[in-house]
Amino acid sequence: MASSDVSDPSVVARLDSAFNPRTIAVVGDKRAMGYMWLRCMSTFGGKLYSVQVDPNEISGIEELGVPNYKSLLEVPDEIDYVVCAVPRQVSPRIIADCIEKKVGAVALFTSGFAETETPECIAAQEQITQMARDAGLLLIGPNCMGIYNRRLGVRHSGDQEAGDAGNVAFISQSGTHCINFSLFGAVHGIKCSKTVSYGNAVVLDAPDYIEYFAQDPETEVIALYIEGVKDGPRFLRSLKAAASRKPVVVWKGGVTTAGSRAVYSHTASLAAEPAVWEGAMQQAGVVQTQSLDETVDAVKALVYAGRPAGTRMGLIAMTGGQSVVITDAFEREGLEVPLLTAKSYEKLAAFFNIIGGSYRNPLDAGGTIGMGFVPANLEKLFEILEEDENVDAVAMEVGASFIARRLRDNPAMLQQMVDTLAGHKSRSAKPFIAIAHPGHVEDVMSEMRRKLLERGVATFTSFQAAAKAMARAIRYWRFRDGGE
Amino acid sequence: MASATRRSTSNLIAQAKSTGRTILTEVESKRVLQEAGIPVVAAELAGTPEEAIRVARKNGFPVALKIVSPEIPHKSDVGGVKLGLASEAEVAAAFQEIITAVKQRQPNANIEGVSVQKMAPDGIEVIIGMSMDRQFGPVLMFGLGGIFVEVLKDVAFRIVPLEPRDAREMIRELKAFAVLEGVRGQPGADLGALEEMLLTVSSFVEEHPEIEELDLNPVFAYQNGAVAVDARIILS
Repeated sequence: MASSDVSDPSVVARLDSAFNPRTIAVVGDKRAMGYMWLRCMSTFGGKLYSVQVDPNEISGIEELGVPNYKSLLEVPDEIDYVVCAVPRQVSPRIIADCIEKKVGAVALFTSGFAETETPECIAAQEQITQMARDAGLLLIGPNCMGIYNRRLGVRHSGDQEAGDAGNVAFISQSGTHCINFSLFGAVHGIKCSKTVSYGNAVVLDAPDYIEYFAQDPETEVIALYIEGVKDGPRFLRSLKAAASRKPVVVWKGGVTTAGSRAVYSHTASLAAEPAVWEGAMQQAGVVQTQSLDETVDAVKALVYAGRPAGTRMGLIAMTGGQSVVITDAFEREGLEVPLLTAKSYEKLAAFFNIIGGSYRNPLDAGGTIGMGFVPANLEKLFEILEEDENVDAVAMEVGASFIARRLRDNPAMLQQMVDTLAGHKSRSAKPFIAIAHPGHVEDVMSEMRRKLLERGVATFTSFQAAAKAMARAIRYWRFRDGGE
Repeated sequence: MASATRRSTSNLIAQAKSTGRTILTEVESKRVLQEAGIPVVAAELAGTPEEAIRVARKNGFPVALKIVSPEIPHKSDVGGVKLGLASEAEVAAAFQEIITAVKQRQPNANIEGVSVQKMAPDGIEVIIGMSMDRQFGPVLMFGLGGIFVEVLKDVAFRIVPLEPRDAREMIRELKAFAVLEGVRGQPGADLGALEEMLLTVSSFVEEHPEIEELDLNPVFAYQNGAVAVDARIILS
């Protein structure tokens, strides 16, 4: 069914009820796992049920205030989403119950299937696959963490945030990367709409989730961690269709020879030649990344930076050395750092402090803007770059060492600087990003980053990361507009 | 017209398959490709030196002679290629030399004859290939000939079917793209012709899922146009 059919609309509709459940059943949670699943779902506002037959476990479950039943079939409610954590040997029985109960979807947390490469485990995977396919059951996994819906408090990690809505979907073969993206992303201002860890993908595969998120109105950017695909042409079609509607970022694992061996023992999928994969992704018009950090940075640029008209950067740095290095970083990623217009130079000449500074682009502006603490001059720089027709986007260094020193005397200055940058961002039609290297004051800079991100300013931890993310975002928008 | 073309193409492929062969000879490969609208330097099969001379006279000198045998994919390795033959005497001598060399080095090979083709003027050497990827199916490869592909692995891949944008991009993403634009006073290549060739190969392999591998190597790219000088098709 789902994994071979092209765009079965009923899959999307049924996935929608699983991703936005009103009722959830957790099957087989136990004390040894710290009742992990039921605790994860403590933030869920809908109806939560437990299914457990072991009397030694039931008391602990009832202490959590969750009604328990001996069988899924006994639950006196329709079930939109089931998390199944029973041992492998029991899983066929639970799958049969899910089918009979007509649940929306089931995520099989249980592992020990084809990824172990033993005949017995492969046979067990084939058995549950066949059962689910024959009955049209939406099976997520096995060997997966299932769904996270931030708004509804459906979680697969107790550390995940819940309550408010997000706009970035993450699709991951790996549970760890899925959880880490939501946690690390949150620190970087990325709020997930929904995520799914889908493991061995025996019934539902990446294209099903891509198609779902492509049409999900809550999701504005889709990111994926992928190790291998079963139906390459369908995967490519779904990516291409999704990328024509919203940005898609693909982080590929298992690119090297040893890495692709690790892929098989992880999720039992085969990996393509790296160069072929790269060509395919290029063809689909998606952003390609190689790590969690790169993925978070690319998503950050796509969510916050806005859509530039071109590749010409206006750069602001605090010192001469930083001016050189910030320029290298952006040019190396294929972006331009052009000279400004004569009109801009005229305006800059009127107030720019050229002792120890220069304003050709990059603007070596530390002296002129008091390291960012003379808002009036900083705003003048922003205005000039805003009006300069040679500049498509602006990036600014927030200098760690200077800020730390000033803040010691006047902690309120941090907020003032955030206000200046965020104020510019809200008035500006051009993309604006900030770079706040942690330096020796990680706490101050992470607070700066957090505050800026809260106000919608994409803030990066290095020039290189910022340049790479910006270049990737620009390439995406250009491709989508029909350019190269 | 188009359907007639397709039918005869399929016939050649079907014929080869019915005799249990999976490798089409250069002569067959080029006929099939030409019928699909891919520019090739046509090669005709000659069974005797006299036939070779007749073909050369018809198409014009200088010519190249190559051994035609399904068992010999790497023709020059066994002395099966002679280039730049400018006269009837040279053609006759080369014919004999090829047969002698091949019989000596690969006595069990089934020799169909020798192919005769007009020497193509030198151009920028590029390679177009198609292979099967176990995840994505047919994949097209594009690269510059010689060390660019073999040593530097400077190649671009796209999954079939290609769109015009894909053909455009895979040519431009080569590190050695500047060579195709023309460097050091050398004329550049007809990029439009190369794009068209990639797109035609893409639709050709899409229409023929029985093709397992295809090599146009080399393709000579000129200021105007491009042509496949050698070609090989392998069936599944």
